[in-house]
Amino acid sequence: MKKKMALLLILIMTLSLAACGSPAPAPAPSEEPAGETEAAAEGVSDDGTFELALITDIGTIDDKSFNQGSWEGLRDYAVDNGISHKYYQPSEKSTDAYLSAIELAVRGGAKVIVTPGFLFEEPIFIAQDQYPDTHFILIDGVPHNEDYTEFRTEPNVVGVLYAEEQAGFLAGYAAVKDGSRSLGFMGGMAVPAVVRFGYGFVQGAEYAAEELGLAAGDVTINYHYTGGFDATPEVQTLAASWYQSGVDTIFACGGAVGNSVMAAAEQAGAKVVGVDIDQSGESETVITSAMKGLGASVYSTLEAFYAGSFPGGETIVMDASNDGVALPMATSRFESFSQADYDAIFGMLVNDSDGIASSMLKDNDVDSAGAIPTEIVTVTLVN
Amino acid sequence: MNTIYFLVQQTMFFSIPLLIVALGGMFSERSGVVNIALEGIMIVGAFSGILFINTFQAALPGQPILLLAILVAALSGMLISLTHAYASVNMKANQVISGTAINMFAPAFAIYVARMLRTVQQIPFMNQFRIASVPVLGQIPVVGDLFFTNTYLTTYLGFIILVLSWFVLYNTRFGLRLRSCGEHPQAADSVGINVYQIRYAGVLISGALAGIGGLVFVIPTSTNFNATVSGYGFLALAVLIFGQWKPSRILVAAFFFGLMKTIAAAYSGIPFLATLGVPNDVYKMIPYLTTLVVLAFTSKTSQAPRAAGVPYDKGSR
Repeated sequence: MKKKMALLLILIMTLSLAACGSPAPAPAPSEEPAGETEAAAEGVSDDGTFELALITDIGTIDDKSFNQGSWEGLRDYAVDNGISHKYYQPSEKSTDAYLSAIELAVRGGAKVIVTPGFLFEEPIFIAQDQYPDTHFILIDGVPHNEDYTEFRTEPNVVGVLYAEEQAGFLAGYAAVKDGSRSLGFMGGMAVPAVVRFGYGFVQGAEYAAEELGLAAGDVTINYHYTGGFDATPEVQTLAASWYQSGVDTIFACGGAVGNSVMAAAEQAGAKVVGVDIDQSGESETVITSAMKGLGASVYSTLEAFYAGSFPGGETIVMDASNDGVALPMATSRFESFSQADYDAIFGMLVNDSDGIASSMLKDNDVDSAGAIPTEIVTVTLVN
Repeated sequence: MNTIYFLVQQTMFFSIPLLIVALGGMFSERSGVVNIALEGIMIVGAFSGILFINTFQAALPGQPILLLAILVAALSGMLISLTHAYASVNMKANQVISGTAINMFAPAFAIYVARMLRTVQQIPFMNQFRIASVPVLGQIPVVGDLFFTNTYLTTYLGFIILVLSWFVLYNTRFGLRLRSCGEHPQAADSVGINVYQIRYAGVLISGALAGIGGLVFVIPTSTNFNATVSGYGFLALAVLIFGQWKPSRILVAAFFFGLMKTIAAAYSGIPFLATLGVPNDVYKMIPYLTTLVVLAFTSKTSQAPRAAGVPYDKGSR
């Protein structure tokens, strides 16, 4: 009996050793950011402080969305100019935790702190008075107090907003130009950013249809908000049913909703348009992504800071004219929509030709996507 | 025709997990232990299975890793159900309460451990398990399109589990003892059957199946696991009751629910249903309405195992 026990023990020990050893040679699933933690540490300045800091919101630095995009902009600028940099992760999602992370960054010697996500609106509202000598770049938000009664942006803070409707416009335009006639829009919750993406998508499709001289009703868009940012079997089934009924491209606009849509698209061999950042790496079905230029806006704002022209106290709206929105043409999987086509429409947005950018309907202009005046595109609202 | 193929394929994603989990519940309840912890066990199974896939997906190819993950899910499900078995068999505790405890514990546990390991609660995985078309079988007209294209290994596993469950329950000595412990444990004990042992076995089998069910539920429908199975454990309980604790009826019930769920989610893409002009709320209500109605009508002749929920006490023979 004792012998058996000893044998068993030895077996367990070797097995657990093997278990400890085996993950090491296997590459980590998300290998790109693995090196970045170290990159952050490498950038230490001589006195052990970090001049540029980023504080993540609920996601991680490798969330393939907000945090990662902003961090890449910060890192690129820091590496290009040899500035020390680091990111901090709050212990939890709460204003207090964000504030203590900000305190940590300030103590670590941060001159500029980048905070991605609208969750930072409140913490920055408080921090801008607490640390008047530190500069903050608030991505996708405007500082305000807890109950939205006071909006105030101090000279040491700049808020960055995005013209999501232009990103959606580009995606819708490109999809129709590329030959899609039956499209779908699947947003998460109907929050302003998602609504702007959706409205832009419909108007972009309409604009392309007009250019192509299509007849009324030639282009259809199924339009739906899933009511959450989660991947569920219901979303997967709904997306699969759209693909089944002839929809060839769905604009998946809402965090993990995209994962369920991609699951359905892989099954149907159909196409997905990603959102926020270049999602082409997540699935072969992603033909392009309606990108916000997170990295570019962080980069350019940092540049302004070091040039002594920090746009403090302002809210910058990033659109086509300042590279705030884009389609990642290098990784897009279009059949016929070319770089030249893209440059043409992008140029029109930049120059606001015929008021194309300024007359675009946004979230507060119409009640629902069905109310967007379209002649060729038929929008079907799916509840 | 394509619409029908599509509906059948899509129904599988809803029905198979329900079937597996409800069969798990059947083993537990027919041994005399009520198991409302199915939801929690599903979460634990899905969590450990997906975590396993996430860790090893770079090193191993598609289908083998899925089979290993199923094993991991089954083992973790058994482990957590062990606590339920201990509480309800040895400690003679109220079985509903210990089940509820597991249901509350599981999502918290999944979120906590995921955050400790990965700092976010979502665990992503690469879906490399879908089978576009089964070789040879997928070529068969109609049947091939219905059952052998756009499918997962887990679909067939579900049917294998069904057949095995039926066989074990009705054609083996163990099955007979299991059923007798659920109906009249005192009588079973009097002829020398170890009631505690049988009930442990029943609960452990249900834990293994519910764990597998959780993993099977997550894989086809997402690309990450977010500490929830959206209440499908409770739906499986309804399937179990609707199915009258019998494998064949559970099969029918699981597919009925699955089909209704599919139609509710997919009606806007099905031309026939989309043009009917029925408000979408109606489709969403159908599965729940029918459950209410069917249960109301069948409850009178309901054949729940008589001793289910009653702790066995040797002294009260």
